[in-house]
Amino acid sequence: MESSDEQLCKDVAERKPGAFDLLVGRYQERAYRIAWSIVRDREEAKDCSQDAFLRLHEAAGSFAGQSKFSTWFYRILVNCCLDQQRRRRGWRRLVGWRDRRDEGEDATDPVEQAPAPLTDPVEQLDTERRMSRVWDLVQELSPQQRAAVTLQCREGLATKEIAAVLNLSEATVRVHLHRALSTLRKRLGDE
Amino acid sequence: MNDVHVDELLSDHVRGELTDAERTRVETHLAECAACRVSRERIAHLMAELARHAPVPPPIHWGAYRAELRERLERQSSRAGALWAWMVRPAPALVAAGLVAALVYAGLPGVPPPTPGGPDPLADSTIMASRLDLLARLDVVQHLDMLEDFNVIGELDQLPEPSKS
Repeated sequence: MESSDEQLCKDVAERKPGAFDLLVGRYQERAYRIAWSIVRDREEAKDCSQDAFLRLHEAAGSFAGQSKFSTWFYRILVNCCLDQQRRRRGWRRLVGWRDRRDEGEDATDPVEQAPAPLTDPVEQLDTERRMSRVWDLVQELSPQQRAAVTLQCREGLATKEIAAVLNLSEATVRVHLHRALSTLRKRLGDE
Repeated sequence: MNDVHVDELLSDHVRGELTDAERTRVETHLAECAACRVSRERIAHLMAELARHAPVPPPIHWGAYRAELRERLERQSSRAGALWAWMVRPAPALVAAGLVAALVYAGLPGVPPPTPGGPDPLADSTIMASRLDLLARLDVVQHLDMLEDFNVIGELDQLPEPSKS
C-alpha cells in the first residue's frame, strides 16, 4: 500500500532511505508551479521550490500532523517565495528602484480610471484578450495577494487552507482576496 | 461576522465555502442589492477566467532538478557536519591538555604516585621486614655515624653475632 504524505514525512524525519525522494517526486511539479506563479521567474522558482524541499528535510521532525502535510509544506514553500520577493525588493530599494506594487492599491493608476467597456460583440474580443493577460496583472499585486489568488484560483485551496498556509486569519485572507479581485477587475476595465 | 462587509464574502459565496449563517446573510443582501448581484457575477467570471488562463510555467528538466536538489542536500548536510566538527574541535585538545596536566602532577617530587586499589600489603610487609632486620642489630646501628657507615649497614647480616654479655 502506498504511504500517505504524512507517513512519508515521518519517515523523512527518521531519515529512512527513499522517503525524501518519494515526497519530492509527489510534490516537485506543484511546488515549482506555485513558486513560479508567485515569483514568475524560472530560476527563482526552481531555487525557491528546492529551498522548500531542503527546509522540509531539515524540519520534517517538527511536522506535528495537526494539519494536512500539503498545507504544512505549502506554508514552507510560500514563505520561501515571499522571502525571495522581500530580498529582491530589498535589493531594488537599495539601488533606488521603486516598485509601484509597493505603493499599495494605486488610486492614480490611469488603468483604474478607465471607463467600463461596452459589452458589444466587437469589444468581446478585447475582453478575451484582456482576460488572457489576467495573470500578468496578478503579478502586479502585492506578494501576499498574489499568493492568495494563486492558491485559490490555481491550486483550488479553500480559504481556510490558504489561511493556514499564509499564517493569517480567514478574515484577513478574505480581505486579501477581495482587494486582489477588485484590483484585477479595475485593471481589466471590468468595473 | 456582521462586521464583515458582504462583498468580502462574495468570492467564498461563489465557491460555496460560506457557513450557513454567512450564506443566508449574503443571499438576503443579494436579493435586495442589484449592484452586489452584478459584482458577484463579475467575481465569478473573473475567478473562472483566472482558472482557465492559468499560465503554464516554463518547462524544466526534472532529472536535472532532482540531481541539483540532491547535491544541495548533500552540501547542506556536509555544512552541518563541518559546523558540528568545528564546535567539537576543542574537545581533543582539552583531553590532551588534561592528560599532560595529570602526568605532570604525578611526576612532581613529593607527590606519592597514585595507588589504585589502596595500599599494597606485599610492599608494606617487605619494608617492615627490612626494618626488623635493622632492629635486630640495633646495638651496632646505634653506634654508627650517619652517612659514614653505609657499608656497615649493607653488611649487617655478615657481622659477627654480638656477645651475650
